[in-house]
Amino acid sequence: MAVSALRVIAGGRAGEKDPGPLRVRADAGLLAEMYEKHAAAVYGRCRYLLRDDEGAKDALQEVFAKALRALPEFREAASPATWVLRIATHHCLNELRARRAAWRDQLAELAKDRRNEVEPPERRALVRALLSAAPAEAQEVAVLYFVDELTQAEIAQATGRSLPTVRKRLRDFLAAARAALAEALPGIALPEGDEP
Amino acid sequence: MMVDLGGPGTACSAMRVRRLTAGELQGADRDRTQQHVDGCARCQALLRELADERARLARDVPFDAFAAGVAEKLAHTQRPPRFARWAPLAAAAALLLAVGTTLTLRPSDDGGVRSKGGAAVALFQRSGAEVHAVQAVVGKGPIMVHLEPAGHAYAAVVLVEPGESSLLYAGPARAELPEAFEWTGTARRATLLTVFADKPLDGETLRREGAKGAPKGAEVVQVPLERGQ
Repeated sequence: MAVSALRVIAGGRAGEKDPGPLRVRADAGLLAEMYEKHAAAVYGRCRYLLRDDEGAKDALQEVFAKALRALPEFREAASPATWVLRIATHHCLNELRARRAAWRDQLAELAKDRRNEVEPPERRALVRALLSAAPAEAQEVAVLYFVDELTQAEIAQATGRSLPTVRKRLRDFLAAARAALAEALPGIALPEGDEP
Repeated sequence: MMVDLGGPGTACSAMRVRRLTAGELQGADRDRTQQHVDGCARCQALLRELADERARLARDVPFDAFAAGVAEKLAHTQRPPRFARWAPLAAAAALLLAVGTTLTLRPSDDGGVRSKGGAAVALFQRSGAEVHAVQAVVGKGPIMVHLEPAGHAYAAVVLVEPGESSLLYAGPARAELPEAFEWTGTARRATLLTVFADKPLDGETLRREGAKGAPKGAEVVQVPLERGQ
């Protein structure tokens, strides 16, 4: 369907008082602005997590369809870039859970890709492989911390969770990551300690 | 060998650089970040990555293809295979109108069906220009399912009819399901089974086994439905 046929009712989820329809031009302008500012980051996140270009293209469009359905939330977000990347992360983590991503296979692949035993695996590829070994609740927090590099306080603010909860999720991720590495990549270890 | 998984630096953050390039930082915050980025090798490397991301997007998904894809996602409601009797609305505009309108309503204390654990389900139906809460009798028109997950992270919704069940939704618990639905079959009675849980739910198991397929610790809400005249 062409964009000109698209008709979005503003306030779909949050229910603005007077949800006037956003017609053709407003949509195209809004979508162009979203594309310009955020689509590259979202596409990059989807490619990183899904490791599948076709899947990432589909996920990119799905994420922005979700963003348009929740337009007031997007507009009111303190950081639209953080907000839309969280939607992308959620979407992709759900996809990965549905695919039952196998961390053992991914770690074995990382081990094979290393040219020699003294070369560490690429950091973000390692984080990605370890995600599916971690509990679902810890996965998003791990992406926000290790990939987006938000501080724990920033994660608490972005997710609406308490700081102790964020810390616990990170500890859960690290515990799962250590166990996965010990099993599948015994030559690789994470620094000691509960905190990252 | 010890490996460091990374994380925020003292003044570096991938998200901060993204926010800078997206024009989200203002005033002194923007100036301070820009000054840091200009002199930081790690942030400069990240800027190059962001430029690569933009180039790849332009190459793989140019704007026209992106816009058409998003429009299609909005307009298309995906129809799961065994979905004939509980059909999602085809028109996104009608769907979103229904969502927007129902959200101006709130289920009353005695509206909807609540489980012992506090999770609840309420249905709203649009009929012409009116929207009303559905008690048990369902008329014609798009229906929105409103969930109160009571802290549960995941939900699944199944329409159980005699001899057949349809999975309406399985995913993160949300206040409103992403799609409105219309009950289009011929069965006179059905049950809307909703399961709330803290872990992702296997929708197919719930469709096949009904409430018996709910995992331990899940909350189950069953709403009996009857087709109106």
